[in-house]
Amino acid sequence: MPFRWSGNQEVYSRPETNEDRISWPHVLRDSLARMNPLRLIENPVMFVVELSFLVVLLMTIAPGAFPGLAHRSDRVFYAYVTAILFVTVWFSTISDSFAEARSRASAASLKKLEKEGIAKRIHVNEDGKRTIEPVKSSELRKGDIILIEKGDMVPIDAEVLEGIAMLDESLLTGESAGVKKSKGDTIIGGSTVVSDSIVAVVNANPDETYISKLVKMVESSERPKTPNEAALSILLLGLTGVFTIILVALIALSLLLNLGADLSILIALYVCLLPTTIGALLPAIGISGITRMSRNKIIAKSGKAIETAGDADVILLDKTGTITVGNRRAHQFIPLGNHTERELADASFLSSWNDDTPEGRSIVELAFSKKFIPKEYDALREGVYKEFSAVTRSSEITLVDSDDFTLPKGGKGIFQRHRFRKKFVLETRLTDETIIQKGAPDVIKEVAKSIPDNFDETVTRITSEGGTPIAVSVNGDIIGLIYFKDLIKHGIRDRILGLRKMGIRPVMITGDHPLTARSIAGEVGIEEFVAQAKPETKYQKVKEEQAENRVVAMIGDGTNDAPALAAADIGLAMASGTLAAKDAANMVDLESNPSKVIDVVMLGKQLLMTRGAVTTFSITNDVAKYFAIVPVMFVSIPALDALNILRLTPHIAVLSALIYNAVVIPALIPIALRGTKFRPQSTLKIFLKNLFVYGVGGVLLPFAAIKLIAILLVIMGGVI
Amino acid sequence: MIGTGYLLITALVWATIIALSWGLSKYLKKVYKNEKTFLDKLLNPFENVIYRILGIDRDKGMDWKEYFLSLFMFSVFTVAISFIVLTFQGMLPLNPMKFHGMSWSLAFNTAMSISSNTNLQHYNGGSTLSYLGQMVGIQFLQFTSAASGIAVAVAIFRGFAGKRGGDRNLGNFYTDMVRTMTRVLLPLTLLLSLILIGLGVPQSLSGYSLVRTLSGSFELIKVGPVSSLVSIMQLGTNGGGYYGANSAYPFQNPNPLTNYIELGAMMLIPTSMLFLFGLMLDKKGEGRTILIASYGLYAIDLAIALIPNTGLGPGMETRFGGFSPVLYTVTTTAFTTGSVNTALAAMHPLVILAAFLGMMIQATPGGAGVGAMYMLMYVMITVFIVGLMAGRTPEYLGAKISAKDVELAIVAFLSHPIIILVPTVLAYALGAVHAIGLGNGPVGFTEILYEYTSAAANNGSDFLGSSGNTVFFNVSTGIVMWAGRFIPILIMLAISGRMYDKKRSPEVALRTDDLIFPAILIFSIIILAVLTFFPFLAVGPILMHLEGIGNAL
Amino acid sequence: MKGRKLISGTLRLALIFAVICGVVYPVVVTGIGQALFPYQANGDLAQLGNATVGSYLIGQSVNNSPYLFHVRNDSASGVDPDITVASALAQALVIHNTTNISIAYLDGLIHNNTQYSMFFFGTAFVNALSLNIQIIDHFHNSIAVYAKIYNMLNDH
Repeated sequence: MPFRWSGNQEVYSRPETNEDRISWPHVLRDSLARMNPLRLIENPVMFVVELSFLVVLLMTIAPGAFPGLAHRSDRVFYAYVTAILFVTVWFSTISDSFAEARSRASAASLKKLEKEGIAKRIHVNEDGKRTIEPVKSSELRKGDIILIEKGDMVPIDAEVLEGIAMLDESLLTGESAGVKKSKGDTIIGGSTVVSDSIVAVVNANPDETYISKLVKMVESSERPKTPNEAALSILLLGLTGVFTIILVALIALSLLLNLGADLSILIALYVCLLPTTIGALLPAIGISGITRMSRNKIIAKSGKAIETAGDADVILLDKTGTITVGNRRAHQFIPLGNHTERELADASFLSSWNDDTPEGRSIVELAFSKKFIPKEYDALREGVYKEFSAVTRSSEITLVDSDDFTLPKGGKGIFQRHRFRKKFVLETRLTDETIIQKGAPDVIKEVAKSIPDNFDETVTRITSEGGTPIAVSVNGDIIGLIYFKDLIKHGIRDRILGLRKMGIRPVMITGDHPLTARSIAGEVGIEEFVAQAKPETKYQKVKEEQAENRVVAMIGDGTNDAPALAAADIGLAMASGTLAAKDAANMVDLESNPSKVIDVVMLGKQLLMTRGAVTTFSITNDVAKYFAIVPVMFVSIPALDALNILRLTPHIAVLSALIYNAVVIPALIPIALRGTKFRPQSTLKIFLKNLFVYGVGGVLLPFAAIKLIAILLVIMGGVI
Repeated sequence: MIGTGYLLITALVWATIIALSWGLSKYLKKVYKNEKTFLDKLLNPFENVIYRILGIDRDKGMDWKEYFLSLFMFSVFTVAISFIVLTFQGMLPLNPMKFHGMSWSLAFNTAMSISSNTNLQHYNGGSTLSYLGQMVGIQFLQFTSAASGIAVAVAIFRGFAGKRGGDRNLGNFYTDMVRTMTRVLLPLTLLLSLILIGLGVPQSLSGYSLVRTLSGSFELIKVGPVSSLVSIMQLGTNGGGYYGANSAYPFQNPNPLTNYIELGAMMLIPTSMLFLFGLMLDKKGEGRTILIASYGLYAIDLAIALIPNTGLGPGMETRFGGFSPVLYTVTTTAFTTGSVNTALAAMHPLVILAAFLGMMIQATPGGAGVGAMYMLMYVMITVFIVGLMAGRTPEYLGAKISAKDVELAIVAFLSHPIIILVPTVLAYALGAVHAIGLGNGPVGFTEILYEYTSAAANNGSDFLGSSGNTVFFNVSTGIVMWAGRFIPILIMLAISGRMYDKKRSPEVALRTDDLIFPAILIFSIIILAVLTFFPFLAVGPILMHLEGIGNAL
Repeated sequence: MKGRKLISGTLRLALIFAVICGVVYPVVVTGIGQALFPYQANGDLAQLGNATVGSYLIGQSVNNSPYLFHVRNDSASGVDPDITVASALAQALVIHNTTNISIAYLDGLIHNNTQYSMFFFGTAFVNALSLNIQIIDHFHNSIAVYAKIYNMLNDH
């Protein structure tokens, strides 16, 4: 299923597939193993809870060892507290185990792409003769030359050396449409050749392929903390410090002032105050980020890269592929002077007949759909006809077999093709020496003998409407213009609006004329664009924005993009792009869908929000816990009962608060893994909503929840 | 019910001080940005002499370490000078009353107290200090501690302003101190001193006179350089009075007018510093944010204190009525000044609770300079916690808050409960509390907790007074006062030094200069303060209130 | 070298400020204050005849004398010079009973000396010493107890 995100949907949810099965016995075993203090010490908050558990356990076994702080008569209560503390720690390790298991499950489904198969390795003998030897795909090494023929699966990541072929990458990307690959293109292990055959050079050892990198990223237990995670960990450590001081001071004062506090209750207060919720869920949130990236077939070189994406201020968007679908298409024939549409269409048809570029094909399709089949069709019939072959790459005659366009049988013709500057000009030589030329208006204008009056005017009009004009001349007379139009990607407008609402500035980069660029940018709601971009433009733009301390995200695929990708804070390379681009970027999209850069940014934001929301919730929860426990803390001070707004008896109050504290961890696992919900809207609105839900809600909810748990406890037979 | 008139007077004081502070802050900006002011002609030659004696490069920008070291060494020397004068005042001039020197522990406590801008007084100045003791032992330190607080805040502001601010690093400690003294504190104190003298505060060096009263008995008229001291102790948020009874003593605060002038005086510089922050950053909105947050917390403190309807009663001064002591007590703790115009023991537990909140938060708006500094610490912590919810690495003033910044800010935050709670526990454990006749009940606990909270917050108001003059309390509070002063200054200077070097993003996710952020900041500060101190307040003033104890008398 | 510079610089600064803030400033303020406001600068001393009998700002005990106004002894300073008008009016009755000074005179005296803790409202109070001195001054020729006090203080 292709990845979709639009402004009206909640962000970032590629549904779990059947393959993402989780092994529960493994989760249980793993979660218990994680309770080993030596492992748990990496999570100081939960480690301290485990220590507290051990102390209360000791109180249960030997209350006599705590003179003045424990009472033999309360051993049953201590046992309950011990059990709840154990469960609290366990819930936290379960959340880690679960997040990891989920991650592994998604990695498992990726691994299937790396099926072991037989590859055809080409061996070049001393006399230069090539022989083919079959080898296992796992035995291929970087630099090996392989042959991949129609029907073969690409055994490993490689770069095409010879030939042109259609590849099916649907296993990888979910898109069933074939992709044409030719010299210099990258092909990814797991895709299938559906036509022709190619020779390619392996560019990754078996464990270095993109798939295996993705799998490794997902499975890796060594997950260095992202900057914000590290900062949050320190905050949590600091809060743990504050509450430890409070605990020690309370124990000491209780003994010194004869306040009669029970150690188990002081410890219960301590554990309740500790930021256990965020402490328990912080690792799971980090893991979920990686998992969700892998689900979307994006390899991030580090967790930091995802987080940085959330900080993006500016996104450089390539027009082609991101904003518009592939290439532009012929949209309208505009005859000029006293020429008719028919004449123009005929000439265009003939001149494009052997043009296999998408633009050329779209001209033939447009003419055909309007039933303009040229009478010079006979001339074509007399031409020499050669079937298109990717191997020979003949420039003499080219015919394209298209799904929606069937060539009349037996069409033949002799054509010569020349290239003028960047734009092509096709010269069609017919029997009666008719020359049809087609190309950029300025190029054609230069070589034309006569130019219609409204030529320049029409060119400008098309350009300013976001179209691209192509001029057609017959024997030196310009007869009209073909209006090419870009096809805007479905949903891109909403997504760009979403970006802008969130304060991120999209900048469109295009090689088009400024007028065209302005029109397209305007159509999708982009205010800023760079037109007539040269290869180095992106790099300059990245540097320019960074000089003003903005965080820049960009996408790229060509070698030209590599410096910019390396310089950008967030660089997303297309898997189909060159090796240089992929090496320079900090993320690679296996699906090669440039507009996913927007989703990466949104995911980054969501991860940060989730961390902030759970932290805020964790801290604000403490208010209610204080009000539950402090009033019942000191046996010898009955007057404090006035603060007991929940009206709970001591043991029920402590148990309810502790139970709430424990169950809130699994209750929030879904939020930790899915992320807090948000729609793209102004940052302030999102912030205020989060603040209201997790901040204000965090103060209020536990009052109700603790009271409810207390009522349940009493109903269940009055445990104590 | 508090009458409308009382609230109107409060509003009038606030409005006047906020307006004066705005004006003063514009002048302060010129002083610290080295721009031209009307005092240049008069002061430049004078300052040049000082710089020549100092032999320093006055234009050299200091990094945070150098700035801190200079401040710290300077403070050590001022303590040494004060300690010597207090210990040996009996042999020194200007001692017409022939007072003896202080004991070493009391002199240590006093020097540490005044130099840390605390002014906790375990001595009764009016009956134990010579004129020289008051002038060099006390008043001199009141100037230097106020100046150093202001200088530190200015240095921190420069760091927060960053390289765009156009300053060389955090600035030069010597220049900041000299300019603060000559261009800010001395002119303001001179003016205030003369106003107070005109309104009845004595200023004399001619010794105490003995008079025969109407009843035929004899009475000492304890006049001295009172006005000059009161003006700096209020303006510099020091709070250490000339007399043991502080601003309840009629010579120090003779009438309602002086009372409100003195009240306003302690608010002036801390409030100006909040404006100055915005001005030095060239972002007035940021200054407005910390102003609203500070005054919002101050208003909350006051609202708590006004719940009980305090009328004139024992332990209060007739001329101030029942309302003014409450306003004054809340203000003196909110601005961590510590001067009082009543006996704290006369105050209702809820007034004491409000006082505790002011000292536990220390930024409501807090002391001269350091109040703004604490507020920035809270801003850093708050922006970090809630800022993530805007979906972006939290930034303050465009600078990303990194793990190291969080670590520093949280250590600064953490130091406060440590230096309050550890000595409170020790005071009970070592029997020091019982030794001065206080018990285990909520009243005794409130008084001891207040002692260390006041010391740690560099406030200086206290219940103990001269009864705290024991070696244990002298030494322990002496250490706590310096820890409470210099640990946060060290850390905030370090943060500021980091801020100075940070890249500033032009875009923001979470604005800190709107009207929403101050509300969040207030909410966050209350939660943080409540989280840290609630159990202790519960067994102190809250318990007193719940047990129906009207006051500590 | 750097350390020495730090020490010498900060020490010098401390000494300079000790002189400026600890000596020069208070002496200058004293000089100006004594010149501009000699009465206030010396403590609002109260005169009875030719004798200085205290400061108007410092409340003095009158040993439960039924002829004079008493100050509070439970105030914060212990020397609160003021009493509430209510207290003054009550005390005026006692003085009237012992001295026969008319209630109207005493009430008028209190009224003329009334101040308010909030300038125009709040606690109404009067300065006890001021009332006592005005009474003694006014009646030391006619009432023996006041003459005794007046003479005791002015004979020396």
